[in-house]
Amino acid sequence: MKQTKKTVIAYRKTCPAKGTGLSHYILMDKKAK
Amino acid sequence: MARAPKKNLVGVAAPSRGRYVGTGNGPTFQPIDIGHPDYVALIEPDTAFWALVERAKLADVALGGDLLKAYRKKAAQFAKEMDMLRFGLKPSAVYFNPTERCNLNCVYCYIPEKMRRKGQHMSQEQIVEALAVLKRYFRTTVPKGSQPQIIFHGAEPLLNREAVFAGIEQFADDFRFGIQTNATLLDDSAIDFLREHDVSVGISLDAPTSAIADRTRANWEGRGVYQQVIDAMSRLKDYPGWSVICTVSQENLRHLTKLVDFLHEHEVPTCLMNILRCTLPKSRSVKPDDASAAKYFLQALDRTHELYQKTGRKLIVGNFANILLAIVAPAARRLMCDISPCGGGRCFFALAPNGDLFPCSEFIGLPAFCGGNLFRDELPAVLDSEPFRLVTDRKIEQIEPCGRCAIRHFCGSPCPAEAHEMNGGMQQVGAFCEFYEEQVRYAFRLIADEKIDDYLWEGWDKDMQQTFAMS
Repeated sequence: MKQTKKTVIAYRKTCPAKGTGLSHYILMDKKAK
Repeated sequence: MARAPKKNLVGVAAPSRGRYVGTGNGPTFQPIDIGHPDYVALIEPDTAFWALVERAKLADVALGGDLLKAYRKKAAQFAKEMDMLRFGLKPSAVYFNPTERCNLNCVYCYIPEKMRRKGQHMSQEQIVEALAVLKRYFRTTVPKGSQPQIIFHGAEPLLNREAVFAGIEQFADDFRFGIQTNATLLDDSAIDFLREHDVSVGISLDAPTSAIADRTRANWEGRGVYQQVIDAMSRLKDYPGWSVICTVSQENLRHLTKLVDFLHEHEVPTCLMNILRCTLPKSRSVKPDDASAAKYFLQALDRTHELYQKTGRKLIVGNFANILLAIVAPAARRLMCDISPCGGGRCFFALAPNGDLFPCSEFIGLPAFCGGNLFRDELPAVLDSEPFRLVTDRKIEQIEPCGRCAIRHFCGSPCPAEAHEMNGGMQQVGAFCEFYEEQVRYAFRLIADEKIDDYLWEGWDKDMQQTFAMS
């Protein structure tokens, strides 16, 4: 059955900001091991 | 008895109460066409708030009703979140160049050729001293329990391998280490060392065949290094902490989809497909136009999704994943180029081999952006120096046309180095604009089709809180 289309889709999430990276390098989220 | 004076007398400010969308102090909802058959996006640029709205209902939703009410309740919280992200972060990473030299002469390198040919190595003693200074500094900026990050970068850091590895050994408990390398010197013993010390390894590869890859990445004699990179990739295969960076240029643009196939086949967990930076004139010789860049880049993203559906295994394109995060969870973004001010000089900075400090590696060839020296100056003073402030004070609101662009906080108008060098000043746009417009539109289409999980790491929202939900 086809789902009813939503009139509005809106959401947002948050977490402590840890952004440190620049585009030359991928910062891995976890330790390599 | 004298009457109390009336409020709102002539000459007294009478600001709007913000009752209406689009005027006075009301929210500024900008509609944008995302190229989706059913939805358009409605964006409040200052707070990076967005909603996707059914096309036929746009006017009703945008001008009043539940969305507006719900947004009003959260607007201050979202504004605060963006303010913290843009102005409240402290440095937690250093791009550490342990040598000026490189054994390659890549077309688009941002480090001047003279340095890479005949430059200096840092001595082991200098590397150790630098790490000791940085350790002391980060105690004042990084919360207890978190480790600052040191990324050995270049030029080619493995040309100074012994000194770099000594630094990693000595400060193993103090930093998370990473290395970005061209992979030509990544032999078995180097890989063993990096594995043992949990060092993240990024290697550079621009195309799936030597005929294309070697056009942009070759040694000083002009010989390509494709095969050496492939050999290193084979050796890294079962190591979870590695990734591949591809620089997207005119030379490899049409082959990005095949590169996706290739990387997926080689079980690369994450890659970056970075559009080249145009800071130095030589790199501009291989600059693609925005429309072509967008076309082929988005085709490559499509391909990652096809492969995921076919095999159940993802190849994450980190720079695009970052744009998705910038939209759905702004504080979760990892890469700090696509935000204004960018991360240069405020989230991270770059250390040149002579101890000179720059807001970002991209500025290492530009002496005017040196803010001081790690061995002679205090770091807080360097971070507050005029050269650093040129970068950290570059705000998107002051850039035309970015200041009135709905997606300004999903793009950030990168990068200040190329704006300054290529376009004539810090308050100019970066080298690519439509390329970002198209990526953001694509990201919104994925949101509309509920596909974003397929383009992000498993568990990407595991530790996040939902701050808005409406559907």
